[in-house]
Amino acid sequence: MKRTGNIGTIPDWLNPEPWLDVVRTADEASVRRALDAASLHEEEFAALVSPAAADLLEALAQRALERTRTHFGRTIAFYVPLYLSNYCSGGCIYCGFASDRRHARRRLEPADMLREFEAIKAMGFEEILLLTGERTPRADYAYVRDAVAEAARHFASVTVEAFPMTADEYRGLADAGCVGVTLYQETYDPVQYSRLHRWGPKRDYANRLEAPARVLGARVRFAGLGALLGISEPFFDILALYRHARYLQRRFWQAGLTISFPRVCPQEGGFVPPYPVSNRQLAQFVFAFRIAMPDVPLTLSTRESETFRDGIAGVGISKMSIASRTTVGGYETRNESPDGQFHVNDDRNVAAFCAALKAKGLEPVFKNWDKLFR
Amino acid sequence: MKTESKLTLGGVEFESRLLMGTGKFASSETMTRAIEAAGAQLVTVALRRFNPGQPSDDLLGPLRNLKITLAPNTSGARNADEAVRAAMLCRELSGSRFVKVEIHPNPHHLMPDPIETYAASKTLVKEGFIVLPYMPADPVLAKRLEDVGCAAVMPLGSAIGTGHGLATAEMLRLIIEGSSVPVIVDAGLRAPSEAAAAMEMGCGAVLVNSAIAAARDPVAMAAAFAAAVKAGYAARGAGLMSRSAEAVATSPLTSFLT
Repeated sequence: MKRTGNIGTIPDWLNPEPWLDVVRTADEASVRRALDAASLHEEEFAALVSPAAADLLEALAQRALERTRTHFGRTIAFYVPLYLSNYCSGGCIYCGFASDRRHARRRLEPADMLREFEAIKAMGFEEILLLTGERTPRADYAYVRDAVAEAARHFASVTVEAFPMTADEYRGLADAGCVGVTLYQETYDPVQYSRLHRWGPKRDYANRLEAPARVLGARVRFAGLGALLGISEPFFDILALYRHARYLQRRFWQAGLTISFPRVCPQEGGFVPPYPVSNRQLAQFVFAFRIAMPDVPLTLSTRESETFRDGIAGVGISKMSIASRTTVGGYETRNESPDGQFHVNDDRNVAAFCAALKAKGLEPVFKNWDKLFR
Repeated sequence: MKTESKLTLGGVEFESRLLMGTGKFASSETMTRAIEAAGAQLVTVALRRFNPGQPSDDLLGPLRNLKITLAPNTSGARNADEAVRAAMLCRELSGSRFVKVEIHPNPHHLMPDPIETYAASKTLVKEGFIVLPYMPADPVLAKRLEDVGCAAVMPLGSAIGTGHGLATAEMLRLIIEGSSVPVIVDAGLRAPSEAAAAMEMGCGAVLVNSAIAAARDPVAMAAAFAAAVKAGYAARGAGLMSRSAEAVATSPLTSFLT
């Protein structure tokens, strides 16, 4: 049965319903078959994320480590987020930047950006992720494009996490030097999506869903996908996320993908996630993706704790941020404003995190791209 | 059969027939020790990992201190135009005439694009590079690349980083049979025995990265690969005995001829 919300219906190519039964009925034998499968599809992926596989978490971790080491070696690629603006037209119930939140609105002007870029460069980063809220006149397409063009003069790799754009706009971003665009669907369940996204352009479920295809169609190299764990039924979302990634790989033969695992934790702000995801479940999802998509970069932000991040680095996760500010700017002044989009749980500096990775036998990689490849 | 004792690429001679890649190591110290243990003399490094502004993150710097020849690679390029520009920049930054042409439009499976690889190689030969193209194991493409002046051909044993060994053995045999330039198996090897097998088949060299970098002890594995390459090469020179027939028929099929 397909879920239909008042904002749209989940399309067939994405609908995970047929595999939810596999999640429920998987047993040890089916999980072990999935672990040993030469090629994996929905059936095997569903077994790997199932409660039955939770009992085999160590076996999943071992397999994920093998796959990560084979494809990414003993390295962790670094990126750093920079919030350009917190103006937002969205009404996402879980977000600190939603338009009904009462904190100060601000955007970086070109001179501010330059100072932030310099501060970030001084920390060693070569991959920068530029973020905004939903489209507003104060932070519109031209604003993002111009920020990309300026950042591209300073960094080997520039990526964007903003609002859904048109194909022409994505082509413009690519021309300005954008290597990747991240856009989380948040939840793939249209019913829950409609409840959580109360107003604004983000209520257009289908427009957001089709955006990563427009990104790749516009020859931006990487599309970043993710579901915001905690806000909706996790098995539905994790299966849909897998199907979304596979769909894009089939449709765009040159598709570069990255997959992220953002999670809303209960202790944050006023929003209590209705479907909390435990550390063990989050780790299981990472391992399942690593086993099913061994060569796709899997990323983890500083939303997660030091202990969790150190533990899962190199065991599935291949790309991480560190020393992140989730306020607008904040690298130049290191202001300690509490008004970030989300709470940073790992607040180590670059040197401390690098030391932790090296102690695990992992090399941090700051530059793994070149300006020339744009 | 007759074998040359040295590997010659574009007029440059190398004692070692084990080429190494430099990605995926836990530190640049491990990488340099592994290169030394391998005795590798020709080493490839990706332009995307050049970071002269930040020495602790730069792979080119530590390699410069070794007595090796660099063959920078164009990994990240998805077409001939980007690869050519990357090669020019590599030459400028590294000072090496060698270039390993790597064009993989899909950033995940990293399979080389035959059409763009051919176009880029043709241009780069004309530009005076010693061109080493990473290519699918296609005997026709190998001859086409040789015809435009590549110094070697580098067919994949299996997909990069998979460790599936010489999955393309049948095609590699055809490439080796037909080639007048050294055939260097690049990508897919997991075990030293596979490197030895490639050399026994008649490869001029092998290039190894993941199998060394992802081993439990990369330095020891580098030495193991070096020994295997030498053994395989010596075995090829010594001439392998032919395989004996499986069985002798009790009633010979030719008895009617007597």
